[in-house]
Amino acid sequence: MPDSGYPWPIQTSRLDNGLRVVVSEDRIAPAVAVNLWYDVGSRHEPAGQTGFAHLFEHLMFEGSVNVAKTEHMKLIQGSGGSLNATTNPDRTNYFETVPAEHLELALWLEADRMGGLVPALTQETLDNQRDVVKNERRQRYENVPYGDAWLRLLPLLYPPGHPYHHATIGSMADLNAADLATFQAFHRTYYAPNNAVLTVVGDATASDVFALADKYFGALPARDDIPPAPDGRNVPATGQTAVESVSADVPAPRVYIAHRSYPFGSPGYNVITVLATILGSGRGSRLYQRLADGERIAQPDLVGAYGVDLAHAPAPLIATATARPGVSAERLAEGLAEVVDELATVPVTAAELDRAKALLSTGWWRQLSTVDGRADLLGRYTTQFGDPARIAEQLPALLAVTAEQIAEAAADVLATDRVTLTYLPEETS
Amino acid sequence: MTLIADRPGPGAARPYRFPPVVRRTAAGGQVVAAHLPGQNLAVALLLLDVGAGQEPVGKEGLSGVLAKALEEGTAQRDAAAYALAVEGLGTALSTGLDWDSFQASVVIPVDRLSAAVELLAEAVRTPRLDSADVRRVRDDEATALRMDWANPGPRADAALRADLFGAQNRWGRPMHGDPESVAGLDVEDVTVFHSEWFLRPGTLIVAGDLDRIDLDALAAAAFAGTGGGPAERGGPIEVPLHSGRRIILVDRPGSVQSTLRLGHPSPHRAHPDHVPMTLAGTVLGGAFTSRLNHLLREVHGYTYGIRGDFAASRRFGRFAVSSGVQTAVTAPALVEAVGEITRTQATGVTEDELEVARSWRAGQLSVELQSPRAIASALTTLVVHDLPDDYHARLRESLLSADVDQVSAAAATHLHPEALTLVIEGDAAVIRADLEATALGDLLP
Repeated sequence: MPDSGYPWPIQTSRLDNGLRVVVSEDRIAPAVAVNLWYDVGSRHEPAGQTGFAHLFEHLMFEGSVNVAKTEHMKLIQGSGGSLNATTNPDRTNYFETVPAEHLELALWLEADRMGGLVPALTQETLDNQRDVVKNERRQRYENVPYGDAWLRLLPLLYPPGHPYHHATIGSMADLNAADLATFQAFHRTYYAPNNAVLTVVGDATASDVFALADKYFGALPARDDIPPAPDGRNVPATGQTAVESVSADVPAPRVYIAHRSYPFGSPGYNVITVLATILGSGRGSRLYQRLADGERIAQPDLVGAYGVDLAHAPAPLIATATARPGVSAERLAEGLAEVVDELATVPVTAAELDRAKALLSTGWWRQLSTVDGRADLLGRYTTQFGDPARIAEQLPALLAVTAEQIAEAAADVLATDRVTLTYLPEETS
Repeated sequence: MTLIADRPGPGAARPYRFPPVVRRTAAGGQVVAAHLPGQNLAVALLLLDVGAGQEPVGKEGLSGVLAKALEEGTAQRDAAAYALAVEGLGTALSTGLDWDSFQASVVIPVDRLSAAVELLAEAVRTPRLDSADVRRVRDDEATALRMDWANPGPRADAALRADLFGAQNRWGRPMHGDPESVAGLDVEDVTVFHSEWFLRPGTLIVAGDLDRIDLDALAAAAFAGTGGGPAERGGPIEVPLHSGRRIILVDRPGSVQSTLRLGHPSPHRAHPDHVPMTLAGTVLGGAFTSRLNHLLREVHGYTYGIRGDFAASRRFGRFAVSSGVQTAVTAPALVEAVGEITRTQATGVTEDELEVARSWRAGQLSVELQSPRAIASALTTLVVHDLPDDYHARLRESLLSADVDQVSAAAATHLHPEALTLVIEGDAAVIRADLEATALGDLLP
């Protein structure tokens, strides 16, 4: 068992304006990953403004005081880099991996949009990116079978008013209503250096990065009254099961079983991570062995279980299966529930535990095999737990999970408030 | 002002060094390895000289069924025991197929690599292929394809491929087959295909810390019980261009988006214009900043994204553009896309655009030096296309030295906007009249 899940150096600094800077040097390739976590996500969105954090993420690529519209992409790609950004309920991250000699360019670009977005933001840009985001919603959620499962599960798992009640992509109605002033205010409110973590991993030395960070970000003003998202940590159990059945243009019945578990980063969530691997990862998992191989009621490529790694409230644990031809949704739902419930009654064996830990271990090292994978995790641990060094504890913590802890967590999490979402192929003429 | 207005220039360029490549013959097969000192993870990949191109016409999807059937028990253990053995090491057997080759690989901490390669070889060389299991896997694969084909895209891809290459040819049919072709396979198809192709040694590709890896032992495991020579590859296939554009409408009632697939045949991988063609494709559609994405996404807001590129295998290639656009703007989006392809063919690229394209392609080669997976993939390219150890360094040089004239000439020669097939998968009742009104080409029935 390794002593550390992170055998690379980690150095940190904090600028006077509150920007936290994390550097992890590694000369394996002549490349460097630059990553910014902003502590703002869809959990901060008030009613009527769903989808705004994500639409805002798009606007961050559309120019700032010293960067023309579309120039950001052109400069990064023109230096050989790749880039992207994502928004989830918890946070928004922006990242690029570039050949190491272009580190300074990447920092300049990030600083310009952290400090100088608002003057460059126009109605035309907003209208254009609103259309792009609406197309993203159609492409990812509306035009694919089962594409809206996540949109349906969230309101079943979290009550109205809870920060995870609505999905990050937002509603078409809210997106249509988005006005420019709201986005200008959004940037002024949340895109402050003291609400961000800058992480640089790869072919760079910490002292150089700290100096460059100070040069480009150092003069940006902090904001001292950043409003927190609503507190979602305590979700009272209702004692109810929630069942939703959807008739849709789907090729086969599919069932999702979901529960609220524990927040990402807590000891309980580590147990859930191992539990989900035993339940639904790989051909040796319980779901595969029982439903795909044993009873042969589920399609082998489409059984699975996973935790969703959200940190600010009990995170979802989801198990899913899709019916083989001729198998009814009821039969599938029964089979899936049976295997899920047995986590609390049929003890996990040593072989199951070892298999899960071996898979999680390799998965961990794969995630850390690239500089961008490492940068994103360091940004996460700094943002969510205040300390990048906590990254090193993650793998040992997973490897220390016991069968007893899994039985306890299963009994606790699976006992109540079950959400079951079923898709049924709609009758066609 | 709190921001620094001046954009910084680049620092000192780092040299590009592809890891040292080791090639050797061992235990009757070829080993190609890259040394990644200090790397905790390693990749082993068994590359077989059989691709979708070797599947008989009418038997499309055979390799996919065989790939899945490999894990349904071996000479030594049943399926459940095999899954536990592999996953107990912390890995999974991953398989892949393209037109030229089949691969099976493992990614794993280096200290467990040899055990993983033994299990990999056990599945590839000595699968049970029990009749009942093969039939079940075939049925599951047919179901999986039906699931996949319920998504927008696969039907449009198939329509484009058939129109470009002819459905009477294997390469005019979907690489992974379709639900019907897979459902029609029988057990003997699978067992015969295995004995004909999967018992030849092939090439073992390894990326990892070679100081901690015994390549000869890995080769002995990977090539045990194999024989037979490499396959006859066949030369490049001449694919005629269509005279005149045509539109193929694939109905998807109620669709809120139209899926666009535009394309025509293009040269095979070993064509001398490979680099300038790649760059022309990059300027036109290969990157976020490319012409097509800029126009259709950033200017018009028609789409979440649009991409276009030249792709090539050993024997043939194709230029293709793909996107999903909002139903209501299907016709104008198509007109704009064809217009941009036409303009690029006629007037070439600018130095400004080319500078971005070549720096991006070259820079990506540096960025991709990080992970064992990416290095193994680069080694695979060397083997499949018979390229030298210093290929990636040379490629980088040729990308960086390509000039506007060469790339514009490649665009002029290899783009054929007048011969495009335009496949649109969408709500026919809503978009048919608009498509006809574009006069972009004949709407095929």
